[in-house]
Amino acid sequence: MREIACAAGVERLMDYLEGVLPSHLHAALDEHVAGCPRCAAFVASYRETPRILREATAATLPADVEASLEAFLRARTRAFRAR
Amino acid sequence: MLAARAAAGDDSAFEAIVGRYQARVFRLACRLTSDSDASDVLQETFLQVYRHLPSFRGESQFRTWLYRIATNAALMHRRARARRPVEPLDDFLPRFDDRGAHTATPAELQVASRADELLDRRFLAGKAREAIARLPDLYREAFVLRDLEEMSTADVARALGLEPGTVRQRVHRARLMLRGFLGSLAGVKR
Repeated sequence: MREIACAAGVERLMDYLEGVLPSHLHAALDEHVAGCPRCAAFVASYRETPRILREATAATLPADVEASLEAFLRARTRAFRAR
Repeated sequence: MLAARAAAGDDSAFEAIVGRYQARVFRLACRLTSDSDASDVLQETFLQVYRHLPSFRGESQFRTWLYRIATNAALMHRRARARRPVEPLDDFLPRFDDRGAHTATPAELQVASRADELLDRRFLAGKAREAIARLPDLYREAFVLRDLEEMSTADVARALGLEPGTVRQRVHRARLMLRGFLGSLAGVKR
């Protein structure tokens, strides 16, 4: 896939990593990445992006929000059942 | 099965469902809206679950069904809010020369993968929320469910009512923008 430019490889990257590319394209992309340090670096950072953002946005449930949910559901489900 | 018992009117089963999933739904709501809106989305989600449990057929996984409700609740919440226009992330897409080759060096291209080592944790958390909020709604939903909540592409497709190929396309665009954004935080080219 050296004859196919980096841009074309980037467009197929998600399909490549999910294993849904046709086998000849998958092999061609393997070959391109193996011979292209820029694409190898790009793929590494593309793969890490979800993990970094997952860890950075991992909110925990505050106790007051949990208590509010419990009170809200108690009131609203009682009203719903009373219909 | 908890869902079946809750649908039949067993309140303790519904409470068990809430207890099991509330933290995950809250985390999802924070990612799709904001910390300040997430409490409202959490409440609306479980109220909808309570009302619609009798229609849950068990053909899909309960979590997929629940996340579909939560995602819709978050979207409704966002639409109900008059939000200031956000600056799109298109400037963070990768750049190529006339031959389609990357213009950045390998070191510049790789630095996004070290954003969590290079940046202060609280700073990164704030910027990550900001960047996800700047994604188009369609990309944000697919990216959050697939990459942050770690659902399979097939489950995301079921939750959002899309073809798997459409999910992959949206997640891919989101990843490209967010990868570039992380790289720019560390001060390099895309």
